[in-house]
This record gives sequence, structure tokens and C-alpha cells, in this order.
Amino acid sequence: MRVPYWNIDYGFLIDILAIPALAVFLSGLYGHYRKIRKGSERLKTRSDKLPWKFGPVFVRSVLTKGILGTVIYRKFYTGLAHGSVFWGMLVLGLGTTLAFANLIAKVPVFSGSFNRWFMAFGLDLAGVCVLAGLLFFLLRRLFPPDRLVTPRERSGFFPMACLLAVILVTGFLIEGMRIRASAPELGSFVGNFVAGLIPGSDHITSYHRYLWWFHGLLALAFVVYIPYSPMVHMVLAPINTALADPRPGPKMGVIDFSRFDDESGEEMPSMGVAKLADFSRKRLLDFDTCLWCGRCHEVCPAAQTQQPLSPKMVMATLAGFLSANDFTDDSLADAIGVDALFNCTTCAACMEACPVSINQPKAIMKLRQNLAMERSELPELMSKAYNSLEQRRHPFFGTGSGPKDWQKGIDVPIFAPGQTEYLLWVGCAATYDERAQKVARAMVKILSAAGVSFGILSKPRCTGDPAKQIGNEFLFTEIAQENIAEFDELGIQKIITLCPHCFNSFTRHYPELGGHYEVIPHSVLIGELIAARRLVPEKSDESICLHDPCYLARRNHIEDPPRLALEAVGRLVEMPRSKRESFCCGGGGGNYWSESSGVRINQVRAKEALDTNTDVIATACPFCLLMLTDGAKKYTEDQKVFDIAELIAARLNLN
Amino acid sequence: MKTLIIEKIEPKRIGELVTVGRILGETPDLLALGEGEVPGTYPRAYQCPETIAANLVDGVADLIQRDGYQVVLLSATTLGSEIAGRLGARLKAPVLSEVIEVKPDMTVKRPLYGGKAVAEYKIQGNPVILTIRRKYFEPAPLEGTTAAAVFNVESPSVVLLSEEQVQTQGVRLEDAEIIVSGGRGMGSADNFEVLREMAGLLRGAVGASRGAVDEGWASQTMQVGQTGNIVAPAVYFAVGISGASQHLAGIANAKCVVAVNKDEEANIFKRARFGVVCDYHKFIPALIQALREEQ
Amino acid sequence: MKIAVLAKVVPDYEVPAGDFELAGNRAHARYTRMIGLYDENAIETGIQLKEKYGATLGIVSYGQSEDVPILRKAIAMGGDSLHLVLGESDDPYVIASNLKIALEQLQDVDLVLAGQQSADLDRGVVHGVLAEMLGCTFLAQISRIESDQGRWTVCQNHESGSRMLQFSGKAVLSITSSPENVPRIPAVRAIMAAKKKPVEKLQGTDAPPMQVEEVKVEIPKLESVCEFLPFEDMQETSRMLLARLREERYL
Ligand SMILES: Cc1cc2nc3c(=O)[nH]c(=O)nc-3n(C[C@H](O)[C@H](O)[C@H](O)COP(=O)(O)OP(=O)(O)OC[C@H]3O[C@@H](n4cnc5c(N)ncnc54)[C@H](O)[C@@H]3O)c2cc1C
Ligand code: SF4
Ligand code: SF4
Repeated sequence: MRVPYWNIDYGFLIDILAIPALAVFLSGLYGHYRKIRKGSERLKTRSDKLPWKFGPVFVRSVLTKGILGTVIYRKFYTGLAHGSVFWGMLVLGLGTTLAFANLIAKVPVFSGSFNRWFMAFGLDLAGVCVLAGLLFFLLRRLFPPDRLVTPRERSGFFPMACLLAVILVTGFLIEGMRIRASAPELGSFVGNFVAGLIPGSDHITSYHRYLWWFHGLLALAFVVYIPYSPMVHMVLAPINTALADPRPGPKMGVIDFSRFDDESGEEMPSMGVAKLADFSRKRLLDFDTCLWCGRCHEVCPAAQTQQPLSPKMVMATLAGFLSANDFTDDSLADAIGVDALFNCTTCAACMEACPVSINQPKAIMKLRQNLAMERSELPELMSKAYNSLEQRRHPFFGTGSGPKDWQKGIDVPIFAPGQTEYLLWVGCAATYDERAQKVARAMVKILSAAGVSFGILSKPRCTGDPAKQIGNEFLFTEIAQENIAEFDELGIQKIITLCPHCFNSFTRHYPELGGHYEVIPHSVLIGELIAARRLVPEKSDESICLHDPCYLARRNHIEDPPRLALEAVGRLVEMPRSKRESFCCGGGGGNYWSESSGVRINQVRAKEALDTNTDVIATACPFCLLMLTDGAKKYTEDQKVFDIAELIAARLNLN
Repeated sequence: MKTLIIEKIEPKRIGELVTVGRILGETPDLLALGEGEVPGTYPRAYQCPETIAANLVDGVADLIQRDGYQVVLLSATTLGSEIAGRLGARLKAPVLSEVIEVKPDMTVKRPLYGGKAVAEYKIQGNPVILTIRRKYFEPAPLEGTTAAAVFNVESPSVVLLSEEQVQTQGVRLEDAEIIVSGGRGMGSADNFEVLREMAGLLRGAVGASRGAVDEGWASQTMQVGQTGNIVAPAVYFAVGISGASQHLAGIANAKCVVAVNKDEEANIFKRARFGVVCDYHKFIPALIQALREEQ
Repeated sequence: MKIAVLAKVVPDYEVPAGDFELAGNRAHARYTRMIGLYDENAIETGIQLKEKYGATLGIVSYGQSEDVPILRKAIAMGGDSLHLVLGESDDPYVIASNLKIALEQLQDVDLVLAGQQSADLDRGVVHGVLAEMLGCTFLAQISRIESDQGRWTVCQNHESGSRMLQFSGKAVLSITSSPENVPRIPAVRAIMAAKKKPVEKLQGTDAPPMQVEEVKVEIPKLESVCEFLPFEDMQETSRMLLARLREERYL
């Protein structure tokens, strides 16, 4: 039977020393807490009841993303290494706690097969795992991948990993010395091995004693240092995950502009975010939690096409202001770069990739809102789209089409209150862009063929989503309210959208403004109609590669319905990045109206699709359609990009 | 109809107005502005060195009243628009601007809504002030010169401090038989160089859309369109121009439009006689080379 | 210094030709209404003068009550007050007489700025007529304005260049668009504040119109079928184009 604190006098001192160490640790954490408290309170938290939500805590995500760290394993080796260190340390921590329990309460952990399989074998194995993981991390810090160092690397990981490695190695040495000085222990395969390497010496017990104290003090130092180093993510990451609404997408919410109406108020709240204090606490927690791991940088379409934006850079810059305790400097946008802020396509790829549930696009959009609404600083093309949206209620400035052009030669019913079931919401792109108009025509053909009761508005409208994406919440609210009033008047309850941006706005933002509808994206409806055999398109062996629109797949987790529909007419092929991990077409976030230079996102994506050797590229968003059509022009002169509705409509036998 | 033309000494500008004058009656009289010989022969001609229209109003109004002119013809230019309104108000005369068609019975046409509509008017009052849009009337050949009576401006209120002529290399835009215009699609000011080269080979002039002018890639005097120069070349090359109605308004009388645009759906193709759907970077150098080979 | 800018609310000037239709000789009422393009340049110019010289800036319009929400944009951009003379006439003399009412109400306006032409009737006559009615100087197509010691120095863009002109006293200037006067986007707070600003509405008067009869208004037919040239081999295309242009006697 193993003796606790063998060879150590006053070993309990280390446990007593743990008390001040813990105090410093806690006070460090309190420092984080105090900074984060300086953020503004969330105005609205999600109020609907969820089975896994207790108070503000999303329990399921804490357990999965927070504790199990499920997202980390998307990078297999990093995930493995992280898992080894994390779980290994947990086991070692448990071992230490049990030893302490044995000391004070005589819990019999050092005897029998528990000792052999857990305290000896288990802890040794855990130690090996931790060391192996640390070796991986140390090597990776020495030969870092681009994502860790672009635009800059977070310091503090390397010394902490070294420290931990030393703690582990000394731990094994202590174990080895103890075994060398006593007898081999069943299960302690590392200890026995190390003992074999140690030359016999009279001083072995005193070396053991010194090393034991060294090891113990280092371990305490490690704990003390956690809140002051990037290791604080051990604490912050689960908290951040716990507080992050797990619904996909940045969840921008709406702004209540009546707050700004009262000009007599002492201090005018800013529209959007100009300084750190304007951010909500959750955002500040985001900045504090960010590991600078760069996983977001790696998937960001803007960063990957050498545009100034990198979500990691945004987080790092804001974290810089946070650690400098600079809450009043209103040059955040300039520090990040105005251009960079407008590069964001709001694709949310960064969010999806982030292992610690950070909402990067929301921070970006909040800063953008300030530029758009207070500073009136918009890139030129976006400002034109904005002007057009403001004046004509659609952003397609300079369009060559009238609002009814797309209906030429076909019969399109107008929504009749009380008679029509679905409103077919055409949206701005399919109304004003000649290419996208074909989608609307195809959809009319499909709905008529399937005998769906549908109608359009007599006057075309825009959801206002482009305004929201450009950052002008005010215009968005205005347009949305106009639409809601009209829908109310017509008694509209069910809406078919052609555009995922419209879908997202209707489902996420309109309810907050009082508009509640049953909304179905056209791709989903088509899939349902095919499943119900109300549509029987002809199947061919044409290969179809689906580009998942960010606003469907990633931001609303609609991935399979469009595939089901497409399978009815062809053979699906997939791009390396698909479904939730789809790569943006470049048109989101108002960037349909941007002058991008250099490598263009839509070309990158079009190339990826063409590289699958597909016959056609399908998508389910008019903006994706336009962006990819353009992007594909660089590589092929054939027209290969089509909307899902066009593909189905073309294969309908209407006899 | 007793008609008076007020125009700068520029044969084409005067010639166009003479053509209009002759539709309405005999050869009109002329008040020529600026220095030099007065080209063409007129029953009566006056000459005034002053070119700031604002300073001419009083004298011209007196002249019109004194000599009983029934029609005053101006070109729809800075000069014309600066003086027409004030003269009209002074003389209680109808003013019609940007006229593109004139009939002997005093019906005239002028475009509305950026050329998307054309209105026809019957003029009843008299005198009447008309500003005539450039390039809509064939300039009458001006033969000989006329000795002009001096017309003086008393107490000018506006002083000319400096004048800056924009250098138009070679042929002037409005006289050019061939115009090569670049739009926002050109991408930068430097890229206009290829258009200059091409225009040089064709002995034409370089124009621009407002898109390009707004970007600062071309000077405002190069702008073609409703609010820029109204041109009527035999061939108009539109390179990287989308074809907004206001731009098309400026080339309504171009005989043949050749559009080079990478967007096959660009509106310009609706106006074009020939279209090339491609990046102009590829096409224009090839065209330049073809022109070189011919020489 | 007191500046007034004339602004007219017009139907969408970017309606594509293919979609353009008339109703009662004017653009169909279905088109969105907005402030004329050059009028916005004039407003921007006015705001810049306000910022530079501490002038007050009144926005003056002739039109209907429905135009008010649209005209508020001018206030949001930086105008100080909005004066609308109510009336429906299209005649330049009637319009000018009515605008004069508002300008007289404003008192001692030093400078009246107006877009060089309205974006509907494309006329560019009203401001000259108004200048004559006010008995002041009128200059067309001005792109820059400076005030120095009681005199105005302005830059006029004309067909063959530009020139600097100087004058003193009151004036009406027609403003052309230039890179310096691209209309600003109003900030949201300014838009919200503009919504609350009172608007001065003035009753219009009858004035004798011009003696012309509008016989008819038509939409011209654009007929031109485009022949697309192949773009595989640019050399070949170039030669083909030149040959075709010669064949049809354009070159
Ligand atoms: C009252 C009023 C008056 C106006 N007056 C005028 C006027 O007088 N003159 C005028 O021009 N405009 C005028 N406008 C503006 C007009 O509406 C348009 O905004 C303008 O003409 C657009 O210019 P653009 O065609 O060069 O630019 P864009 O519309 O941006 O078009 C650029 C084109 O270039 C193409 N392109 C891009 N890159 C390439 C490439 N590498 N190779 C080939 N093609 C390429 C694109 O496909 C696109 O079609 C007026 C507007 C108003 C409201
Ligand atoms: S935001 Fe998330 S993914 Fe991006 S660097 Fe920070 S922790 Fe990594
Ligand atoms: S939302 Fe998309 S574009 Fe914006 S920062 Fe994240 S990954 Fe980049």
C-alpha cells in the first residue's frame, strides 16, 4: 500500500499554500469579470423557453462545445492533442485530489485494484497523454501554421506549455525516485521505467524531497498564473459557450430606435458601437475569450482573398483595447480599418469554426452600424445601393428593368386576401436583375405546376435586408415596418422566399418587429413538393454541384432539403467545403455592391465548384447566383450556374 | 420670322443655329460673341467681345425690343442656359430649352425625362427664346464674313478672373466623326491611355461616361450624355459603359454605336449596332493592332 | 450669410427607358419620387458653404404636401429650414413666381442655389427666370463657390473648360455636379431630427404662364438590333468589326 506524501515532511503545507494560490487565481478571474461588467447590458435576451436552457445558460452547448470541446476536433490532430492535455490534466487533477482526500479523510485510494488501475496506471497514462499533447503544441508554436501568426500571434501559450511540461516531467521523476527508493509498483509503467533509469544513490530520498517541493510549487504557480495568461480560456471558454445562443448565425436582433428619440436624455447612446463601452458584456467576453487560434481567419472569405479583414485580427484588436482597459476611445473602427469592416460578408463561417463560441460577425456588424448610421461612412458602391434602397426601396441602382419585366409573357397571380395561401415573395434581386428574374419565372412555373395557391404583391418590395447588412438598421426597420403593415392588411400568413436573405430577415428579425409568419425557402418547398409527388421532374445523369448559400446552410441549418430536390433531377457532387462549412460567394453583407480588387471571393468559390468537374452548379440564392455566374466567367464561357428552381422547372414535363 | 442668333464665334455652333433660323424664315441676324471675323453672311450682324452671358442680358433685351425680333436662337450650352431664362423673363417671352426639332409653323420638340419622352409644343407668344440642343441640326456652311456693328456691354457685373481651356488632344469631342468613350469599366485613369491611342489611330476623340468622370479618370469636358456633351459621330465606341439612359441621351444621334462590355446584359447593347461582350483589355489592344496593320 | 437652395421632387430619374410610361403627358405616378439629382448637388454645395462660412441654409421647393417627407432629406443632409410653396404648375414662369414668394419670406437671401436642371423636365430655365424676377445676377453651371470680402468667386464648368468668375451682390447660381459636391448620406440621427422639424408651407399664387401649348408628349421608339461579334479570337473580331463598319459606310 502506497503512503501519501511518502518521504515528505509537512507535505500538507503544499495544500495550505494552495489556499493563497487559489485566492490569487480567483482575484485574477475577478479582474476579468470586472472588465467585462463594463460592457453594456444586453437589452433583450432570448426569452423563449428551451429545454436545455437555464437562466442565461445554454446547458447543452456547455456540455458539448464547452466541456467536450467538440468543435476543436474539426482539426483532428490539434483536437487530439488538446483532448490529451485537457482530459489528461483532468485525470491528474482528480488523482491529486484523491491523494489529498486520502490524507485528510483516509479515503482508501492507494490500495487494491483501484490503486493499480487508476492511481498507478491511469495517472501514468494521463501523464503520458498530457506530455504528448504538450509536445505537439510546443512543436506547433515553434513551427506555427499561418493561422496562428497572421496577423499576429498571442504570446503566453509557449511559456505556459513549457511550465506544464516541466511539471509533468518532474512528476514522473518524483514517481521514479520513489519507486527506485522503495519497490516497483504494479501499474505504474512510467514510474517503473523511470526508476530503472535512475542510478542508485544514497541521496535519492533527499533529491526526491527537493523535487517534490519544486513540483508542487510549480503546480501552484501554474494555477496562479492561469487568469493572467491565455490559459484563462480553461475558464472563459465554457462560460462563453454557456452564454452563447446556440442558434446559428450572428443573431443581430433589431434596434429600438425610440431609445434615440429622447434628445433631452443625459447621454445619447451610440448607434452601433464606437467605443468598447458600447459593446454588450457578451461581446467583451468574446474578446477576452478569443484564443487567437485563427481558425476563423482560415475560413473567412475576406481574409482568404487577401482583403484587409480578418476576424481574428478584429478580435485581437478589440482584445487589445480590452486589456488596456480602454473603454472610451471611439476609434475602434479606425484601429481595425473601415475597409476591413465593410469586407465582411456576414457569412458566419468564422462563428462556425470558432472553438469557443465567439460571435465575430456581430462585433463587426456593430462597428459597421456605427459607421453607417452615425458617421455615414460607406464604401462608394454600397452608398449607392443604400441611396437607391432609401429612395426607391430597392438597392439595384441603375437597373435596366422595370418592376414587372420579369412577368412578361407569363401569368402571375396577385395575392388575394382570404383566397391565396402563400405569398410568393420575389425580393429585389429577382425583380430588378435580368439574370435573377429567370429564377422568379421558374418558380412561378413550379408553383403553378404543383397547384400551389400562391400570389405576389402587386407592387414589388424589398425586405430591407441589404440595409441591415450595410449597417443601416434604421432604414431596415423602416422598410420592415412598411412591409409588416402591408402584410397585415393583406392578411398574409405564409410566405415563400426566393432569397435566403429574405428568409433570414422574415424569420429572425421580423418577429421582433411584430411580424410573425410561416416562412419557407423556395428550395425547401420544392423538395417537399417533389417528396409529395406534386412535382415529378425528369431525372437525368447530369452532375449537379450545390453551392450552399451561407444564409441557408450555415445561418439556418437548411442543408438537406435542397439536396433532396436536386437529387430528383440529377446526380449530386459535393465541393470540399459544403453544407455548414460552405465558402461564401462573396455577395453577402452588402458586398454584392462592392468593388473588390485582387483575388475575388466569387472566383475562388466558382473555381472550387468547377474543380469538381460538375456539369452544372446549383444554388438557392439569387445573390449567390449572380456572384457565381460572374465568378465562373473567369474560368469558363459556358453558363453553368443556375438556381435550383431553374433546374427543376426545366425538367418539368407539363403535359 | 425675324430671328436673332446669339452665339460665340464658332462656325459649327453658329451654322447649326443658322439652319434652324432658315427653317423659320430668312437667314437670321447674328450677334456674334468673342473676337475675330464673323463667319457667314447675315442681313445684320453685331459683334461683342464679351463672352459672359450674364453681362449681356440688358443690352440684348434692348436690342430685341428695339429691332422687334420674334425669335431668339441660342445653343443649349452654358451660354444659352445662362441668358435664356433671364431674357425670357425680361421680355415676357416663352423660353424653350434643349430643342431638338423645329417646324416652320412654330412647333418645336424637346426631350423630357432624360430623353425617355419627347414633348411637342406650339409656340404662341412672341418673341420666343429657344435654346437648340447641339448636333441635332446639320450646320449650315458659313460663307464669307460679315462686317459686324459693334455691340457694347455697359457696366458688366461679372468679371472674368481666369479661363482654363481643357486640352483636348487632336480632334474636339463635339466635332469628332469618331468617338471612343470609356466608362467606369475602364478601371483607372491610366487605362484611358489605350482609348487615346485608339482614337488617335482613328483620328477621333476620347469621351467618357459620367461614371468615369465621377471617378476622376476623365475630365468633365469629356463627359458624354444628357448633361455632358451631346455628340453625333458616325461611330461611337462605348467601352466599359453600361448604357444608362442619361448616357444614351447624349448619343441619340450617333449613327453607329459599337459597345464593348463584359456584361452581356449591359443596357448599352440595346442601343448598339455592334456588340463585343468581353473585357476591353482583351479587345481594344487587338483592335489597335488591327488598325496599325491597316496603316 | 443666408443661402437658399431650390429643390424639386421628381419621379425616379433612373427608371429604365423600357419601363417608362406616361400618364397625362407626364411620367406615370407609379414611379417613386425623389429629390432631383442636381438639386442634391446644389444642396451639398449649400451645406459646404454653411459649414465654411457659418451661413444659414433654407431649402425652398414648389410642389405638393406629399413631397414633404422626401424633402426632409435635404434637412437631414444639413439644411436648416424647409419652405414649401404649394402648387402643381409645370410652367417655369409660374414656378419661378412661386419660389419668389418663399424667398421673399426668407428675407435677405444672399445666394440662391439650384440644380442646373430638374431631373424630370430637364429644362434648366426656372432659375434664370427667377434671377430676373429677383433682379439679381444669374450664372449657370457653377461647380465651386467662394466668398471673399463681400464678393463671390465661382468656378463655371462649360463645354470647353472652366473659368473663374467674380461678382458681388445677390445671385442665383445653377449648380452642376462635380467630384466635390457628391451628395452626402445623412446620418440617422439627422434623419430622425429632420422628421420633427416644422415645415413652412406657403400658399402658391397664380401667375401668367408662358405662351406655349404643349401639343403632345410621346415616348420615342428605340430601334436598334445589336449584332454581337464573336469573342473567341480578338484579332479576327477586330478585323471583322472594321470591315463591317466600312461596309455600312460608317468609317
Ligand atoms: C440627371 C442625370 C444626368 C446624367 N447625365 C449623364 C451624362 O451626361 N452622361 C453619363 O454618362 N451619365 C450621366 N448620368 C449618369 C448615368 O445614370 C450613369 O450612372 C452613368 O452613365 C454610368 O457610367 P458607366 O456606364 O461608365 O458606369 P457603369 O454603369 O458602372 O458601367 C460600367 C460598365 O463597364 C463594364 N465593364 C467593367 N469592366 C469592364 C472591362 N474590363 N471590359 C469591358 N467592360 C467592362 C461593366 O460591365 C459595366 O457595364 C446622369 C444621371 C442623371 C440622373
Ligand atoms: S474568434 Fe474564435 S476562431 Fe477566431 S481566433 Fe478567436 S478563438 Fe479562434
Ligand atoms: S462573417 Fe464571414 S466574412 Fe465576416 S468575418 Fe466571419 S468569416 Fe469573415
